[in-house]
Amino acid sequence: MSYGPLLFLGILFTLASSWVGLVLMPQRQLGALGQHTDTNTAAVYPQARAGEAQQGAEHYRALGCVYCHTQQVRPEGYGADIARGWGRRRTVSRDYIHDKPVMLGTMRTGPDLTNIGERQSDYSWHYKHLYNPQITSAGSVMPPYPFLFETRPIGPMGPSTNALALEGTFAPAPGHEVVPTLRARQLVEYLRSLKSSGDLPEAPVKKEEAQ
Amino acid sequence: MSSTTASKTLQAILPGDFSKEDFRRAKLAEIDASCRTPVLFFFVSGLLWLLAGTLFALVASIKLHTPGFLAGWESLTFGIVRTVHLNTVVYGFCSQAAVGVAIWLMCRLCRVPLVAPGIVTVANLFYNVGVTVGIGGILAGDSTSIEWLEMPRYATPILFVSYALIAVWTIITFRLRAERHLYVSQWYLLAAVLWFPWLYGTAQVMLIVEPVRGVVQAAVNWWFAHNVLGLWFTPIGLAAIYYFIPKVIGRPIHSYYLSVLGFWSLALFYNWNGMHHLVGGPMPAWMITVSIVASVMMLIPVLTVAINHHSTMIGHFGKLRHSPTLRFIVFGAVSYTLASLQGVLSALRSFSEVAHFTHHTVAHAHLGMYAFFAMVMFGSMYYILPRITGREWPSNALISVHFWGVAIGIVLYVVVLSAAGLQQGRMMNDPTVKFLDVVKFTIPYLQIRTVSGLLLALGHAAFVVNFGWLLVRMFAPYRKPVVSILTGAEIASPSGK
Amino acid sequence: MPVITLILLGSIVLLPAAALLSLRWASRSGQLGRFDRAALLPFDEEEPVGRATDQILGDNRR
Repeated sequence: MSYGPLLFLGILFTLASSWVGLVLMPQRQLGALGQHTDTNTAAVYPQARAGEAQQGAEHYRALGCVYCHTQQVRPEGYGADIARGWGRRRTVSRDYIHDKPVMLGTMRTGPDLTNIGERQSDYSWHYKHLYNPQITSAGSVMPPYPFLFETRPIGPMGPSTNALALEGTFAPAPGHEVVPTLRARQLVEYLRSLKSSGDLPEAPVKKEEAQ
Repeated sequence: MSSTTASKTLQAILPGDFSKEDFRRAKLAEIDASCRTPVLFFFVSGLLWLLAGTLFALVASIKLHTPGFLAGWESLTFGIVRTVHLNTVVYGFCSQAAVGVAIWLMCRLCRVPLVAPGIVTVANLFYNVGVTVGIGGILAGDSTSIEWLEMPRYATPILFVSYALIAVWTIITFRLRAERHLYVSQWYLLAAVLWFPWLYGTAQVMLIVEPVRGVVQAAVNWWFAHNVLGLWFTPIGLAAIYYFIPKVIGRPIHSYYLSVLGFWSLALFYNWNGMHHLVGGPMPAWMITVSIVASVMMLIPVLTVAINHHSTMIGHFGKLRHSPTLRFIVFGAVSYTLASLQGVLSALRSFSEVAHFTHHTVAHAHLGMYAFFAMVMFGSMYYILPRITGREWPSNALISVHFWGVAIGIVLYVVVLSAAGLQQGRMMNDPTVKFLDVVKFTIPYLQIRTVSGLLLALGHAAFVVNFGWLLVRMFAPYRKPVVSILTGAEIASPSGK
Repeated sequence: MPVITLILLGSIVLLPAAALLSLRWASRSGQLGRFDRAALLPFDEEEPVGRATDQILGDNRR
């Protein structure tokens, strides 16, 4: 009963089977997936992110936003993703070809962000929300990110143009203002760039809504 | 080879009339002693990481219902502290406990002392450097945000070298075995040490070193992340259960044939499970379907193992009162069955529609990693430590505090969050319920989770105090009682050699 | 990705073939006989079947 070699082979072959099936096969099927060019409009989708937004993706990664926010819209009739307005169509593999890393997420402590750029494009909303989510969404459990902002005395030229309009208990000490740092600006650019709603043959946007 | 050399040395130093049984006993002690240094290193450093991980867990838990808590500290923002918690307990504690248990079990079942234990100790030091660098990197904002693989690329090669070294040493021990026949625990151990470096290497290359395109990353990610549980922690946990239940109650496993079936069906099906984490996601349907099928097939190994262990225990449940090892191990074995059944259910499309993306999944992860795996590791440590140190556990009361603290804590955790997660999912799937109302609904349950975290912390503290006390006794000079030649009574206990 | 296709096709043939061959070899060389004796391997003369270990709590405290 000293079947060492048999055991050894069995151990290797079982893992090899799923390594082939779930690693190599997806790589073969999707590893070279490219952009889609619309034959009517010549629009190319998806587009790579521009510099500022790409920098912002790094902050999104470093701060671990993915642990509470997904970036995937499930199909119509499966969950309420589309009914909640998180997207006009389900997301498909092609939506993610530029993402490194892909941050699909597995938890929705907060809402899905696949199309947050489309749903909320207002800069000042994003800044206030990041500075303290209670300002825009009272009762949220999202942490405040005060370290992405600088609280400083108002200079002789008066308040900065990009100072946050804070009121009540959220306002800084008199004579002070809160301005977003570079990181906050990049992060908001990233959030505003999140749009996965291009019309694709494998995931068409419903025509009446696309108008 | 080495075992014959070791036996010769033993025979040479022992008196000629040394009986066979004494020789056997000395041999078991010799095997235990050969593992002492490396196994202690793995257990001690593992427990230090457990304490750190518990602390991070509490901070993360409090933050999720009181977001203003420590909000000014960037390194402790929820997304980071939660990740640090996962990595400290998974790579710091669970993996190190697993390696310690695996090495000791392998030596015992092969009936050979560990050769060159210094190498394993070095692997441990490497490993801890790797984990420290990795955790530091996450705290500094270098997390990769790839679940279960968050450690930055400058830390992981150190870990890989350490894993490879441990795998090679386990295989060497296996090759040198004095007992040619194999026990089912050895299969699981051998499989785990061969599977893990392959998984880790593939994931590192395809996700960190040279990231593949788009959602292929998600496929590789979940192939890895599910297999860390299925092909690294689960086999080592099952190896320990298969050894300790028979060993503690003094009765062989109910059916060896069932254990064979259980092993091969696990090896065949578990590694195909990963894509069920992406149900509804932007992946081709065949990938997800194949994983759902494999997940359902997991019923075979899980029920096989459950029936086998339960049938072995029948008539011996009374021993639970007397053996801390058995308590923790049986708790873990039952949790393994429950976690697996919950896993099968969660993989189904209809169930996943509700439970995916909710605290139900978080509860499931803790049922598997803690109620099953960590509990089995605690049980194994209660058995192994007295034998490798030659000292009894100093306090039975602390053992009870440990067991009841963590048992009540984790049951509370899993039951409350599983139920709350389902309701959370139902509310999220109803578009008329505002998202903020879903968030507010979860808060009381998240507060209960913090309470359960405190219970777990209490248990861990009791264990660490007991362990530390045992180590102090181990290093204290051995007191040899001086016995009167005339009366046979003990007359003094001077300290000395 | 022709290389990957080659590996895929090759493994579909090779993996089951190797599994069957190794099983045939194992059963022919008698390695699959008398499995259940292995259940006794955790035990030895010092700690034989029937002797419980680790009974340190409660009344059995040493």
